[in-house]
Amino acid sequence: MLASILASGLAAGAIYALVGVTYNTMFSTSRVMSFTAGQLAMLGGVFGSMFTLKLGLPIPVGFVLTLLCCAVIGIVTEFVAVRPVLKSLDQHLYVLSTLAVALMIQQVTAIKWGTEPQPFPRVAGFGEGVLDEKFWLPVVACAVTIIGLEYLYRRTLVGRAFLAIAEDNFAARALGLPERNLRVASYALAGMVGGIAGFSGGQLLLAFFANGALLNFYGFVPVALGGLGNNRGAIIGGLALGLFQQAANFLVGGIFSSVAVFTLFIVVLLAAPQGLFGASTARRV
Amino acid sequence: MRDTQGDPTKAVNATQELISQAKVHAIWGPLNSGEALATTPIMARAKMPDLHPCVVETLIDPVKYPNAFRIAPSNNQWDDAVRNYCLKILKVKKVAVIGDTTGYGVTAVGASVAAFKKDGAEVVYQANVDATQPDMTPDMLRAKNAGAEAIVVWSVSTGMEARMFNTRAAMNWDVPFVGHPSMASGELASLVAKPENWKKVYAIGYKSCSYDSAGKLPPKSEDLVARLSKANVALNDTLLWWVAGGIDCIELIAKAVAESGSTDSAGIIKYWNSLSTYPGYFGNYRFSPTEHNGYLTEEIVMSESSTAKNGTFALAPGYT
Repeated sequence: MLASILASGLAAGAIYALVGVTYNTMFSTSRVMSFTAGQLAMLGGVFGSMFTLKLGLPIPVGFVLTLLCCAVIGIVTEFVAVRPVLKSLDQHLYVLSTLAVALMIQQVTAIKWGTEPQPFPRVAGFGEGVLDEKFWLPVVACAVTIIGLEYLYRRTLVGRAFLAIAEDNFAARALGLPERNLRVASYALAGMVGGIAGFSGGQLLLAFFANGALLNFYGFVPVALGGLGNNRGAIIGGLALGLFQQAANFLVGGIFSSVAVFTLFIVVLLAAPQGLFGASTARRV
Repeated sequence: MRDTQGDPTKAVNATQELISQAKVHAIWGPLNSGEALATTPIMARAKMPDLHPCVVETLIDPVKYPNAFRIAPSNNQWDDAVRNYCLKILKVKKVAVIGDTTGYGVTAVGASVAAFKKDGAEVVYQANVDATQPDMTPDMLRAKNAGAEAIVVWSVSTGMEARMFNTRAAMNWDVPFVGHPSMASGELASLVAKPENWKKVYAIGYKSCSYDSAGKLPPKSEDLVARLSKANVALNDTLLWWVAGGIDCIELIAKAVAESGSTDSAGIIKYWNSLSTYPGYFGNYRFSPTEHNGYLTEEIVMSESSTAKNGTFALAPGYT
């Protein structure tokens, strides 16, 4: 039982964590919580299955095409749902606009792809039982993505520009950084991270249009637990959520496990409203 | 003909248009319970003779809806058939009942558990599971540890069903699954990890659309399939019972008009109410002024889920 909790808990947790990172990547350059994050992950599974199983392309080609498609969806989100509402962030119109785009993505997927779950191919082709690749692949994908993002943010000029925008938008613009282009790039990057989440978790979640809403929901929990904009917090929060959820599935059963997860979520937020790893911000009075 | 795509709003619009504009004399459909819940009162107000195959119990009420007749099993009849197969043919005493968390899943599990207990069976485990739950091991393990000898499934989610079949195989457990017709959906062939994971899965089917160990359908169905094949009607991506039920409805309407001598709705309804046994392709129907559930429970059987052929299935073990 413990092995099963660890295997499926870490796998689901890694997917939630990657969706959390998708939220954070979009938030960092726009201050917008885009509720398309879960849909991007859903599309990662759907595009992956379409390119590899339906069109018969090799797995690496299908993977690259999936990331490209998700990046394009990310960019479209920026143009359609984020850019028009940036001037009135205090009115939180982005909640409506990003939810509307998320709903459109889900409906179009349901119409074009179908409402039944579709299979996802084996990627590496080895492992069975609790070591099956459907369990370890999301964890490996999550680790590689985080290392890649850390490298991007710490070692590259573009990455540092992202951080500068995230830190102080106005100061970065005053220094001549192309804030608008960087924002578009961050939405493309978020699309790719979401795509990785869906592609790596495809065998576990299947290519299913309804996964978007689920991942939107469970992907938001690590963001709130870990602190908004904090990727390390999102990773730890996501993995903890996956493990707790799977343990609750074993101990109290399906419906009650969701209740247990959200009870814990509320308790944590009551104790630490800024998230477990988020810093409380000073406010000038 | 109107394609309402399973959408209650479209079904309501189509019904009103058919009644007030096209001025039809009888309606076959809608084919989805959600649609029928919306259209049945409208048809009742217009006294429109209606035949439909929708399973929700409340859709048939000879007092409220004297014009509505069901030519397929109701939910309770499905439940009876599944329970009878478990208790009388598989002869199991301990069952687990698992459904999804939709309104249908919760209602069906509740009704099924109550009926099993009433018949003296022991329901050792019951659960409603989120259909998107990625790992079914917890519930399957609990069912196994509780001593379940059969798992009854009430869900339309093929993803959830495939995960349960795959988990059973991973656990090296050979417990049979019995339940909802969706367990025989063609989608499952690509969702199970191995074809053998789909064995020992028995979904609700019908005598008229089931073939025996020699691969033979009942003679009337054999004849129907031959006629459909000759007319180039493809059956490999559909279910024979949908086709057979559709033919039966058209013939029931035609006969009602012929026997009553007019297209008057009262005459059509009176003819249907007089049918003590009507031999159709899908099954034998029996209606009376107080009973508009026309399909007979004994016509419902369990099918081997993975054996689809021309929209028909092999009879599950235990039938002769």
